[in-house]
Amino acid sequence: MVLTTPPPANVDESGFLHDPEVQLMLRVKQGDDEAFTTLVKTYQDRLATIFFHMTQNQEAAEDLAQDVFMRIYRARNGYQPTARFSTWLFRIANNLAINSHRNKARRKEVPLPAGETTSVSGVRPESQALADKSALMPTRQIDKHELQLVVQKAIEQLNERQRLTVLLHKFEGMSYSEIAETMEMTVPAVKSILSRARDTLRTALEPYMQMGK
Amino acid sequence: MEKTVRLNADQREDLVAYLDGELPDEEVQQIDHIIARSEVARHEVEALARTWEMLDVLPSAKASDDFASKTMTNLKVMEAPFILEDQWWYPYLRRAGVICGWLLCLGLSGWLGFQITRHWVPNPHDELLKDLPVIENLDQYQDVREIEFLNLLKQSSVFDDLQEK
Repeated sequence: MVLTTPPPANVDESGFLHDPEVQLMLRVKQGDDEAFTTLVKTYQDRLATIFFHMTQNQEAAEDLAQDVFMRIYRARNGYQPTARFSTWLFRIANNLAINSHRNKARRKEVPLPAGETTSVSGVRPESQALADKSALMPTRQIDKHELQLVVQKAIEQLNERQRLTVLLHKFEGMSYSEIAETMEMTVPAVKSILSRARDTLRTALEPYMQMGK
Repeated sequence: MEKTVRLNADQREDLVAYLDGELPDEEVQQIDHIIARSEVARHEVEALARTWEMLDVLPSAKASDDFASKTMTNLKVMEAPFILEDQWWYPYLRRAGVICGWLLCLGLSGWLGFQITRHWVPNPHDELLKDLPVIENLDQYQDVREIEFLNLLKQSSVFDDLQEK
């Protein structure tokens, strides 16, 4: 588990000092809790989005997001600006997501019955049947809500690493090198993972492409 | 390149990177060339691009309104120094400690009292234990009868010859 700041990148360290979030983090290091509140507010929705699409559970997503902030706060005294703040934050998020997935697999969680969990968009698990129905009838007209479910289901087909890579690229707009640094991989590995993930998504979503227009 | 030729894995990988603007110029030109000549490649690029666009419908999550304040409160709790007296279980621990202390004092007093008073009453067995070596050899001592007899026997050198043998 990464608790310390990321290792120095090839970029000159001073370059990161221009990152306003690095400046905020340096203030946190000096004991400025207001600065940390600002960082929490800046990233809370972004982290919640990533974790929600990883876990499909709003509550779990918020817990994981909070855990990320806890770890950052605990590591504040040893903070060194050796990378963009977001890279460090999402690296911790990546490690947490992996650990959470491992723990979940170990516990072999039994999903709650329909109606006991809700998603961000108010989508309930019973809507899964709707997505399945849509999958059986790809030629009929599909509305945005159904399309959302179909895309969610397609995302679920990706493995953890592919999913996070796709989410970081899509939602965070990270470049391959930024994803590589965040997920501690090489750029060719990111390229390969994204390619396979996009291929899986294409196979799953191609029948709905016309309808989703 | 023929129009119906399917793309290999490397070319597919490059197509995705091409769409993401992650290919160097030289390779971009190669892909442009492939796309211009292959209908399959064009279809692949279009399908990949459109499925990627479909992800736009995914909802963005919103953390609960009190997320930031809850997080900061939890951080304060996490960072707060541990004060024993402030713990909810402290009164119970204190009461249990007092009870244990009294029980210990009671036990110690009993043990100390026993150690002191046991010497006040003489134990009849102590005398017997003190004389045990004599009691064990009493028969032999009775056979010898007198110490003078033993001294005379030693001086007589009767047993010297036996020892030499």
